[in-house]
Amino acid sequence: MTDAIVTPLTQALAEGKLSRAELKSFMQRSDAPAFRRLAIWVLVLVATTTLITLAWNSWLIWPAMFVHGVVLVHHFSLQHECVHYTVFRTRWLNDLVGQICGLIIILPHRFFRYEHCDHHTYTQTAGDDPELISLPQSLGAYLWYLTAIPYWRGKFTEVFRHASGNLNAVEKRFIPKVEHAAVFRDARMMLGVYGVLLLGSILTGWSGLIWYWFIPLILGEPVMRFIRMTEHVGRPTVPQMSENTRTNLVSAPWRFLCWNMNFHAEHHYVASVPFHALPRLHEKLKDHIFVEPGGYLAAHRDILRQILRRPDTSGA
Amino acid sequence: MAAEKPWRDVIDADALEKNWVTRVDVGPRRLAIYDTPSGIYASLALCNHGGADLCDGYFDGHVIECPLHQGAFDVRDGKPVSAPATRNMRVFQARVHNGKVQLRL
Repeated sequence: MTDAIVTPLTQALAEGKLSRAELKSFMQRSDAPAFRRLAIWVLVLVATTTLITLAWNSWLIWPAMFVHGVVLVHHFSLQHECVHYTVFRTRWLNDLVGQICGLIIILPHRFFRYEHCDHHTYTQTAGDDPELISLPQSLGAYLWYLTAIPYWRGKFTEVFRHASGNLNAVEKRFIPKVEHAAVFRDARMMLGVYGVLLLGSILTGWSGLIWYWFIPLILGEPVMRFIRMTEHVGRPTVPQMSENTRTNLVSAPWRFLCWNMNFHAEHHYVASVPFHALPRLHEKLKDHIFVEPGGYLAAHRDILRQILRRPDTSGA
Repeated sequence: MAAEKPWRDVIDADALEKNWVTRVDVGPRRLAIYDTPSGIYASLALCNHGGADLCDGYFDGHVIECPLHQGAFDVRDGKPVSAPATRNMRVFQARVHNGKVQLRL
């Protein structure tokens, strides 16, 4: 008989960490929790946008744009959930909302979906995991990553590469040939939308895009880099999900912003479980995964300890 | 003209998980049997993208979702519904006869 591949889920079922009935219960989808959270999400966006407006003629516009940017970059978390079809029970809503999020943070949805699939297949496997963030070689490299400059450089290169009809060798591995044209089309459409918006701004003389979107996005992205590092960086580069992923216990506002993706090890165990069921899944799996009770800051203390005790091999 | 394949009993209809997917091993094949609002359907159990067992996936209406990457298929005709599934999954004719789920394999 042809056997199914071994996944964290099949292991959890085989080892009795999770029963089939529990799995079925955790996986149940619903549109209602997503609409409730989205309603609050929009209110938060209105509030942070208002902050910028109120601070328009003062230096306070910079902290206001930073706060707004922190919310904007968390569209990544929502898009990530949409990639897994776990936000809404209605499947097309996941595609629609995922596309909108991608437009906000410059991340074409279809491409991200394919890339993220390989991340789940090869989590923390050097050379195979396309989303792997290596443990920085030095304190300087750590700080450089957190500026988000390397991230933006990579992101813009990626989008322009796709818009020009090219994929690199890694991308060719995880995007099937039948989807190449669609990935190129997505990148061109995304750049086209930005072009139209930019042209509209120039023609109308309205600079709102810069103050309500571009600058906040740039200011907020280091926070997202800081959070993304806590998911796997510093954990062993081994296939075992119980070791290679970190769950971070964080406060309610951060859980809200990241759509419960702080329960990252649980998510990797059973990616079909929607965001609203992850806290329950955490209670079930918490003794079988790596949990950082001190949250994002403690995760970075761990990362920094590892960086500072290793010899600097960067040559800097 | 090739003779139609015979019906073969694979599981008691009562043993199926209601509105869900049930795993059945028949000889060398691992199969997924789906109880849906419009009847019983069947397919190979392993996802043709990454090889994960669809029987551990989320099932809703007529759509089975792979537990590994959430690629999805319509169980009525095997057509891929969402990426990374791009190829039809193999489906089998199914019916319930005298309390048994029967398939043409």
